[in-house]
Amino acid sequence: MFLSGFGPLILAGTWVTLKLSLLSLILAMLIGLAGASSRLAKGRLLRGWATAYTTLIRSVPDLVLMLLLFYSLQLGLNQCTEALGLAQIDIDPFLAGVVTLAFIYGAYFTETFRGAFLSVPAGQIEAAIAYGMTPWQSFRRVLFPQMMRFALPGIANNWQVLIKATALVSIIGLADIVKATQDAGKATMQMFLFAVVGALMYLLITTVSNLLLIWLENHYSAGVRKAVL
Amino acid sequence: MYKLTVNGLHKKYGQHEVLKGVSLKARAGDVISIIGSSGSGKSTFLRCINFLEQPCAGEISLNGELLQTVLDKKGSQRPRDPKQLQKMRTELSMVFQHFNLWSHMTVLENIMEAPMHVLGLSRAEALQRARKYLAKVGLTEQQENKYPAHLSGGQQQRVAIARALAMEPEVMLFDEPTSALDPELVGEVLRVMQALAEEGRTMVVVTHEMGFARNVSNHVIFLHQGRIEEEGHPAQVLSQPKSERLQQFLSGSLK
Repeated sequence: MFLSGFGPLILAGTWVTLKLSLLSLILAMLIGLAGASSRLAKGRLLRGWATAYTTLIRSVPDLVLMLLLFYSLQLGLNQCTEALGLAQIDIDPFLAGVVTLAFIYGAYFTETFRGAFLSVPAGQIEAAIAYGMTPWQSFRRVLFPQMMRFALPGIANNWQVLIKATALVSIIGLADIVKATQDAGKATMQMFLFAVVGALMYLLITTVSNLLLIWLENHYSAGVRKAVL
Repeated sequence: MYKLTVNGLHKKYGQHEVLKGVSLKARAGDVISIIGSSGSGKSTFLRCINFLEQPCAGEISLNGELLQTVLDKKGSQRPRDPKQLQKMRTELSMVFQHFNLWSHMTVLENIMEAPMHVLGLSRAEALQRARKYLAKVGLTEQQENKYPAHLSGGQQQRVAIARALAMEPEVMLFDEPTSALDPELVGEVLRVMQALAEEGRTMVVVTHEMGFARNVSNHVIFLHQGRIEEEGHPAQVLSQPKSERLQQFLSGSLK
């Protein structure tokens, strides 16, 4: 029988991986935008916090952070519920995975977006302001679309790393691709075969997303003259 | 009745005072050229008029309406009501030295952007306006779907002028509109500006083009070290300069 009947389990694992990475991506990008805005803000306090956040997160291995965040989230919550005399609330591992990954990759996105914001020529924003746009309009209509062109290669890179980093969340008990293929491998004694199947699943996800990113890069490069060697 | 009056504008960068009380009055149809060597404060003055830079003191009014300001902690003026400033900016279109066309939008999108999203015109109205002013600056419909990067400098600046015209502004501000252009492209932009002047548009132009100052404008202001050194009708100011500084400046830029 194909994949010894483990097909549905592996597909379910792929779905978990996909959901996990997409939700973390969205949240991480929001954190990144907020972080980049803070790092470029005038206020010293805001800048200080954002710098501390990106420096700290990017200096510690993902696995260590994940263990730290996941267990400390639960422990912190336990202390709160205990102090309030409530019953223990167990954190949903999926939710914890999303929050943890987003928190880690938010730091990388902060740096990606910061660089991209700095690459947009000041004259572009000046023109927007001089024509009576509100700060929000000039962000949405001019700064954001131009910034995205500079940010996309970095986003693509972070996204690929993020997808693979989801494999680490199997250690906090999520039934993702790694967990599913490992279980299947152990049950059938065909570790190698199922490891390859797992790898192929990741390859499939990254290939599809690369195609999407190429389209996005073209979309946001409108009006850019390409140099030909 | 003046369209635009600027009264006693001061601007400081730290301790360095760039503008030491500069004033300007423009009636409808006036074309005022501001000349001066680099560092005289002429671009800063123009950028202060629409608050791209915040002056430290002075008053700006458009059509008799005074822009209400408050001083911030650093001693720069801030608009009391940002909406008033935004509205004033829509009536004071600016043309920049480096064009500053939005690089991710086509020619047409550049011109339609502010009329649609700031003035609230419908797409059809904005398109009609865009085509009208594109024709006025001498660009064809073949060029309307190109991106700025695919146009020459002269064409880009003419699109920028069309973008400014599409706001149907009270006063147009030009910040050295030909300084970034190749010499052979300067003429096409100056001709468009001359046509606008002849239509009776009110323009304030910071320029190095003495020919334009002499032949097109009806008032010339010579700035030196943040002060108005001399001003008046171009025939008088440029032909019989009184101040030594202006004489020196003009002998350095004989045209």
